[in-house]
Amino acid sequence: MKWAKAWQLSDIILIALIGIFFGAIFMGTNYVYDVLTAALAPVGLSGLANELLLGLWCMPGMLAGYMLRLKGSATLGELLAATVEMFFGGQWGISTLISGVTQGFGAELGYIVTRYKHYDWLGLTASALTTTIVTFGWDLARNGYFKLQLWLLILYFVVRFCSMFLFGGVLTRLITDMLDRSHVLKSTHTN
Amino acid sequence: MNPSIKLLLLFIIALEISFSLIISLNIALVILAIGYLLLHHTKCRTIGWLLIVPLLPAIGLWSTQYINGTGNKTLMAWVLFTRIYAFVFTGATFTLTTNILQLADSLEQNWHLPSKFAYGVLAAYNLVPKIQHEVKIIRAAGLMRGQQLSFWSPKLYFKAILVSINWSQNLAQAMTSHGFVEDAPRTHYRHCPLRWQDWAIFIVGLGLIQLGLFVIPWS
Amino acid sequence: MANIALENLTYTYPEAQAPTLNQIQFTFKAHQFTLLTGPSGTGKSTLLKLMTGLLKLPANQGCIRYNDQPLTTIAATERAGKVALMFQNPNQQFAMDTVENELIFALENRQVPANEIQAKLTAALAFVGISELRERNLSHLSGGEKQKVALAVIVAMDSDVILLDEPFASVDPAARASLLKRLIQLRDQAGKTIILADHDLTDYETLVDQVVRITPDRHLTAVPHADWSTLFADFARTGQTDQRWRLPNQPAKPLFQLQKVALTQGRHRLLQPTDLTLLRHHNTLITGPNGSGKSTLFESLVRLTDYDGQISYLTDDIQTLRRKRYARQVALLFQDAETQFLNITVAEELAQSQKYAYGDYFTPARITAAMQQLNLTGHEDQVIYTLSEGQKKKLQILLMLIMQSPVLLMDEPLKGLDLKSVQALVTLLKSTIAETHQSLIIISHQLTGLAPLIDYHLRFEQQHLQYREAL
Repeated sequence: MKWAKAWQLSDIILIALIGIFFGAIFMGTNYVYDVLTAALAPVGLSGLANELLLGLWCMPGMLAGYMLRLKGSATLGELLAATVEMFFGGQWGISTLISGVTQGFGAELGYIVTRYKHYDWLGLTASALTTTIVTFGWDLARNGYFKLQLWLLILYFVVRFCSMFLFGGVLTRLITDMLDRSHVLKSTHTN
Repeated sequence: MNPSIKLLLLFIIALEISFSLIISLNIALVILAIGYLLLHHTKCRTIGWLLIVPLLPAIGLWSTQYINGTGNKTLMAWVLFTRIYAFVFTGATFTLTTNILQLADSLEQNWHLPSKFAYGVLAAYNLVPKIQHEVKIIRAAGLMRGQQLSFWSPKLYFKAILVSINWSQNLAQAMTSHGFVEDAPRTHYRHCPLRWQDWAIFIVGLGLIQLGLFVIPWS
Repeated sequence: MANIALENLTYTYPEAQAPTLNQIQFTFKAHQFTLLTGPSGTGKSTLLKLMTGLLKLPANQGCIRYNDQPLTTIAATERAGKVALMFQNPNQQFAMDTVENELIFALENRQVPANEIQAKLTAALAFVGISELRERNLSHLSGGEKQKVALAVIVAMDSDVILLDEPFASVDPAARASLLKRLIQLRDQAGKTIILADHDLTDYETLVDQVVRITPDRHLTAVPHADWSTLFADFARTGQTDQRWRLPNQPAKPLFQLQKVALTQGRHRLLQPTDLTLLRHHNTLITGPNGSGKSTLFESLVRLTDYDGQISYLTDDIQTLRRKRYARQVALLFQDAETQFLNITVAEELAQSQKYAYGDYFTPARITAAMQQLNLTGHEDQVIYTLSEGQKKKLQILLMLIMQSPVLLMDEPLKGLDLKSVQALVTLLKSTIAETHQSLIIISHQLTGLAPLIDYHLRFEQQHLQYREAL
């Protein structure tokens, strides 16, 4: 585990804490999900609720990758958030963990293809796109998307990318801009 | 059973049923899992709760396939409906019988996960109640300054990250002061054995799921 | 055991202009109990963290030696056996869930063989007198209990030198006395070296061997024994006042009405069911020992914590009010200034408060004047997080005054401020509320300058909250 050497104890605690904090905030959005799911179920579009909010749940990974700028930070950020969520009130059990891995790896892939050099809109957009592709690929199987009509698949994909871009891209950028301006990361990180 | 072996087995099961279209297998897994939970003295109320919570998403998945699917719509609708329950109940056999400390012990002792990962995450996990309270405080502080902080407000996350940075440094220092040194050897008071029985259950479990997937003619 | 020598120690934080510690030259003798004192924010914490190795001392910025061995050459795995630090904030001090698991964690780190852990753990808990807490969850303990656990960890690790950084800030008097007794035992029976940083000097005079002060120019100097009586007597006066307050005579305009309100922290009862009325357009001071539950009372008044019984604001049960509206009526000045901030620069914060202010008393001209009064002029474009603690506190108070919520709860508003800042703040408070007629409820240990502002006094002690005429 060579890559693990670069991580310091405080980094690990930090991304775990951020994951839990974000999870605690997202818990407040469950009602949005429930209402949308119930409202859209009669027309067979309830997946839209998931598509709209998925960007939120992928945010810890994309943000950790963008903020810490360490190899593996996006994957680890999302995985740790998922691990904690699995034990804490997460009724989705192991599938939370699998989702965490796919979401984290999806986010990581965006930074990999931009060679961990583009901590800008290019990197964020790439990350939003790869996260969308990887998680969508997984949902083709897990949520049976491969059996859906094509127009619906395209709709879901577009909505998912928008969600990823808005929450994982734009919101992440706004948050990290505030962090940069506040100078709080400089004292903890030199890279 | 050894926590990490159990996790691995359930992880593989969850992966495999994600690709299977056998309704009876999903139901069989749910029944087996309920049996296992009852053996471990899980309260009926908890099991009832596990039946109710996934209902809404399950109906959502069902109706999506039933209305907008292709091919054998009814089959796919019920596959996904039962699959969600299989996820929830097989997952519960892990989360309701194992705690995060046992998993951390097992990953550290059996698989040589660096202790900084095991204990770093544990330290954060043990702050969950404080974190929930802190989110309330951040929101209240915003309201007292006239600003509502919703889940789309960057300021809400910014404040949460500031607190996280602060706490992570305090925790890391406290752990160091309690003798923790990254990558240094430690002794283990709670012994987490990895026995041949664990591997036996793992192999048998794995074998059974393959039987269910590929051999048993369910319909 | 260990003499600790500080040689030419200088430390400057990366973002800071001036050094926090400047050319410190000092030796702490082994087996002694040293009280390290000096106002808040003068580098006591920094010094203790450097001595523990938690902060790295840059090369050629001096040297710390334990019995002639430089700290940097002591292997990381040996350090905790040499020196351990107990922190001010008991909340982020533990990695594990229960008392027992935290001690096990520490002993495992020290590489104590598994079969010896049980005995050491039991002995350490018994020594501190908390055997009954063994299986309890750490997050359910009171501040005093947590610090006892922190001491038990240090005892179990058997560290030669014990450093304590303002350890009693949230510890009740009984727990404080018990902890001090154990520290004396550790010095006398086990020969430990103890260095305790505190700005509150109560009770130390007969206990400690040495008093060391951090001077304003950031040096360390031992206070000669002859000067002790003056030092301790001067301190005792800061928490005293001859002021008498009248008791409220009913009926008056009620602000808050508490009906059978009881407060708990974990299993710990803080307040017995209490009926009480707080009055409108008056200023009420709440005093009481650390850890008595004053801050928890404030949290329940703004619905941040659960309580038993009913609290009414004016005429309504506060649980029936909409959060958003209620927050504009009753605001809390948090003890930690950073909690209050929402933006990046001073100017942005001022603009935000102005935008959402409840009243229009604070015109731009008045804000400029207030900034001047508080000596904050010229910092408008500065990032808040780079301000000194004192500047943050003053800015925080100004921001909440600008909001002009009808009720302002202030939790230790003067903590850590120098006398000049306190006077400036009290002057500003007086002139403001004379015009705005806000109701202030203030928790404060420090009374210098504050007393004339107060109409009524509540004492929170031993689970009771009552009006009193004197302290």
